[in-house]
Amino acid sequence: MLELDTVTAGYDRRAPVFRGASLTVAPGESVGLLGPSGCGKSTLARVAALLHRPDAGRLVLDGAEVRAWRHRAPRELRTAVGVVFQQPRTAADPRLALADLIAEPLRATGRRAEAADRVAELAPAVGLTADLLTRRPHEVSDGQLQRACLARALTLRPRWLICDEMTAMLDASTTAALVAAVETYRETTGAGLLAVGHDRVLLHRWCDRTVEWKECLPAEENP
Amino acid sequence: MADPRTHRLRLWSSALVVGVVLLAVLLVPPLVQLDEQAVDLSRKLLPPSWAHPFGTDDLGRDLLLRCVYGLRISLLVGLVAALVATVVGTAVGAAAGALGGWTDRTLMRLVDAFSSVPHLLLGIFVVALFQPGVWPVIASVAVTHWLSTARIVRSEVLSLRTRPFVDAAVSGGASRWRVAVRHLLPAVLPQAGLAAVLMVPHAMWHESALSFLGLGLPSHQASLGNLVQTARSSLLAGDWWPTLFPGLLLIVPTLAIAGLAGAWRDRLNPRRRSELML
Amino acid sequence: MNAPNASGQRLLRALDAVTAERAEDAVLSVRDLTVRFRLRGGRTVAAVTGADFDLAAGECLALVGESGCGKSVLASALLGLLPGNAETSGTALTDGIDLLAADEKTLARTVRGRRVGLVPQSPAAHLTPVRTVRSQLEETVRALTATGRRARRKAAEDAAERAAFPAGHLDRYPHELSGGLAQRAATALALIGGARLLLADEPTTGLDRDLVDRTADELRRHADDGRALLLITHDLAAAERIADRVAVMYAGRIVEIAPAHRFFGPTGPRHPYARGLLNALPEREFTPIPGMPPELSALPEGCAFAPRCPLATELCATRPAFTAGLACHHPERPRA
Repeated sequence: MLELDTVTAGYDRRAPVFRGASLTVAPGESVGLLGPSGCGKSTLARVAALLHRPDAGRLVLDGAEVRAWRHRAPRELRTAVGVVFQQPRTAADPRLALADLIAEPLRATGRRAEAADRVAELAPAVGLTADLLTRRPHEVSDGQLQRACLARALTLRPRWLICDEMTAMLDASTTAALVAAVETYRETTGAGLLAVGHDRVLLHRWCDRTVEWKECLPAEENP
Repeated sequence: MADPRTHRLRLWSSALVVGVVLLAVLLVPPLVQLDEQAVDLSRKLLPPSWAHPFGTDDLGRDLLLRCVYGLRISLLVGLVAALVATVVGTAVGAAAGALGGWTDRTLMRLVDAFSSVPHLLLGIFVVALFQPGVWPVIASVAVTHWLSTARIVRSEVLSLRTRPFVDAAVSGGASRWRVAVRHLLPAVLPQAGLAAVLMVPHAMWHESALSFLGLGLPSHQASLGNLVQTARSSLLAGDWWPTLFPGLLLIVPTLAIAGLAGAWRDRLNPRRRSELML
Repeated sequence: MNAPNASGQRLLRALDAVTAERAEDAVLSVRDLTVRFRLRGGRTVAAVTGADFDLAAGECLALVGESGCGKSVLASALLGLLPGNAETSGTALTDGIDLLAADEKTLARTVRGRRVGLVPQSPAAHLTPVRTVRSQLEETVRALTATGRRARRKAAEDAAERAAFPAGHLDRYPHELSGGLAQRAATALALIGGARLLLADEPTTGLDRDLVDRTADELRRHADDGRALLLITHDLAAAERIADRVAVMYAGRIVEIAPAHRFFGPTGPRHPYARGLLNALPEREFTPIPGMPPELSALPEGCAFAPRCPLATELCATRPAFTAGLACHHPERPRA
């Protein structure tokens, strides 16, 4: 269970982006969070990925409350939540070849030996060819790079996956391919999904249930 | 945008000058077994000729030879000082930027404190602590030059730190150390390297200034600053060559190094879409 | 291979007639537009090959395709904004000027802003952050026309009005504008010179659906005012909303041009790639086209789509010619 309980977060304590947001993702469940841009749903996604410390409220993963964030969070909690961002260009270290990008989480956690096998397993799952794996981000298209970023999020087999506007920059075919890759991963592992976006048609088609952003907020916060 | 031909011309002429300078200072002293300190008062202050292309100084020493030795010392000081300053500056800047908070505030106040003292004064203070020699001069240059690198690297790291790729690394289990060393540092190294190259002529000028003030290298040791300093008296007597050639050897390599650094910078920022636009 | 049936042939003839008629009063007429990039190491990237289309006043043509298919390069070629290592051939006539052959001076003085207006991808980045919308509009007026202060003010306000930019916000800075207003400000800039051809390069990327619809509708309004609109996008919903015709680009070539109502309607497109693209939409089958587009630096001899195509045969080893708005050996027959 991934539970966000009355979370208040932002980049300035005096003026948080949102107050008191609550949302739950059960294991194996896929939840779409729908909202206009600039409403704070990306910040909520970062809180859920342990990347942003909320000003108030709790994040509970399988019953354990998260008390430390970013580097300070225990590694097994951090890596239990995989995350894919909107813009692959800024989300990929420009100096790493795609294969190294995908293997990086294994190297960072001292499991270098498994890297080659895991990359060989993930690349076809997201539709990357061997030729593309040797290239660096500026040598591939946005769609190809986003495939690698999705693979990287899956490298450590997270129990939850957060996709923050994963397909907003992509064409219809690549969108469908990435969603299919996510769903295949979830079928084999039973992972939960939080897909954040503004495309109603896409999220309704993709997810078990969708939540409007204002449903996360307490009634008095609704505009 | 500059015409590509001027661009190429600048690059190649800069490379040529730097190449010639490096060959001269590396090869001349071991190959040409002449004593640059050999005094011959019968030949003092001769104007440039075939025998002495740069002329001779007030003690009859060959100026070409002394200029090569002087350039050698000045370049050595410049290179080593720039290297030390860059390593220190990059380490401090990266630590301040990557760790943030208390560390950042302390380190940057330290940088501010160093910057508040005029550089030459600080440099003089450092050389005054030691016996005259090459190492105090290098220390003096390094102490005054790591500040700008620290600032550049810190701001670069700060802007990189908020990029999603750092978030992605953290989420992938990377430690703070790994993020700093494997993701942030490599991204700033080209910038730091560029700063280091541009610092070499800066350091050479700093050395020359110290030596010109008589605070740098011992005066018998040929350095560009010392050469200009000793030539000052003969310049008033109308002998121009002892000032001109060391001065040129300070200016021309400076321009050449700046030219190379400029070309390097152009390569660092290729507009990524410009080649393919994919 | 089946010969096109009678109704199909009638349709083709009608299409040809429409195209011919359009060539007469075309605002933009592109013939055999080809762009090559020479890379270090002797590689050549075939970014655009043999693009042929016309665009009439009051018409909106949507150029759609996957990212990296060459559609942005085509737009840059029309604006003369390609990098130095690009080589172009073919013609792109607008108002008697060949955009591909014109030198930089002609482009700067008589084309950009005057004949061709650009509606940019990220309007917020397109505007100077430190100056108000009004001062940027007036500056553009001054650059394009030699008028006095008062006329300039009037022209700027007119352009803002045409782009539905509220006059009360003219004295604001770009960061004080919402995404929608920034888009209108950028559109106002594109409209000032009275350009008859508007080029919109991915104007809706990353916008909310509501904002996409509004932006698209506003662009459509400019087409209805008698301008020609070339909409370059990967957003099929936006194309469906406002386009009269749809051109599908794959691996640097236009593979199909079809009227939008047929393309998005029950008949559907005829090229298997275009069908695949539509079927990938979440409101349709939501199934991706298998595989990935080929490298533009290593295109196959024959049909570039053949390796991913469910209908490919040996015939596809030779490249299909582009005739009657289609380049395919095995087009889907229009459904009855």
